[in-house]
Amino acid sequence: MSRLHPPKLSLAIVNDLAEIGRIAPIIEKFCAEHGLGEETAHAINLSLDELLTNTISYGFEDGGRHVIDIVVEAQGDRAVVTVKDDAAAFDPTEAGDPDLDADLDERPIGGLGIHIVRAMMDDIVYARVGGHNQLTLTKISVQEG
Amino acid sequence: MDIRKETIDTITVLTPVGRVDSNSAREVEDALLPLFDEGHPVLVDFGQLSYISSAGLRVLLLAARRSKATNLPLALAGMSKPVDEVFRISGFAKLFQIHPDRAEALAALGKG
Repeated sequence: MSRLHPPKLSLAIVNDLAEIGRIAPIIEKFCAEHGLGEETAHAINLSLDELLTNTISYGFEDGGRHVIDIVVEAQGDRAVVTVKDDAAAFDPTEAGDPDLDADLDERPIGGLGIHIVRAMMDDIVYARVGGHNQLTLTKISVQEG
Repeated sequence: MDIRKETIDTITVLTPVGRVDSNSAREVEDALLPLFDEGHPVLVDFGQLSYISSAGLRVLLLAARRSKATNLPLALAGMSKPVDEVFRISGFAKLFQIHPDRAEALAALGKG
């Protein structure tokens, strides 16, 4: 079933890690209202957590206040999430994979976040548009039950 | 976030409640890592935890290294489905002693 205007949630956050916990229940509620399921809500929130943590921690060199725009669209059985920021250019689709078989002492402490996003999402597209990073994440809902 | 600490027999049990994200992971780190200076086995009960991100995994990796360095056992128990999924896709499941619930974890640690 297609709609002319799919249900859309628009969020603007500032570059503060506390924002990640603030938007999580809003996204859960949106997903529940539009039949996207708890697994999809978890995939979106976890992916946003990982991506926004990277951007907020390492993306802004000026130490100033920045706004990151997030849009979640419910397109039938899929959620399409767009994240737009004016941080330093970073393409997560080109990051290397961590060694998931390394034992305790050799495990790198970082690098897992992007791997988790790739594992949770069905499609990730990156573009650098007019000085902004624009990331489009797609999650297809698996029917539960 | 709310992090409960209790002692059962000689085992220290830490129960984080709610969500461990990049913002709250520091609180878990501050509560968990010093336990390995107290000389008792440690159980982290995930039964009240609905969510963990890679920032939380990082803290658990540090705890596992402290466990190895101090020779004090570390066990995890009671993972919800989303938490279990994050452990699996990160290849973390094989780095830890993971039990279905607190009772089984306490029994296993008690034998150790």
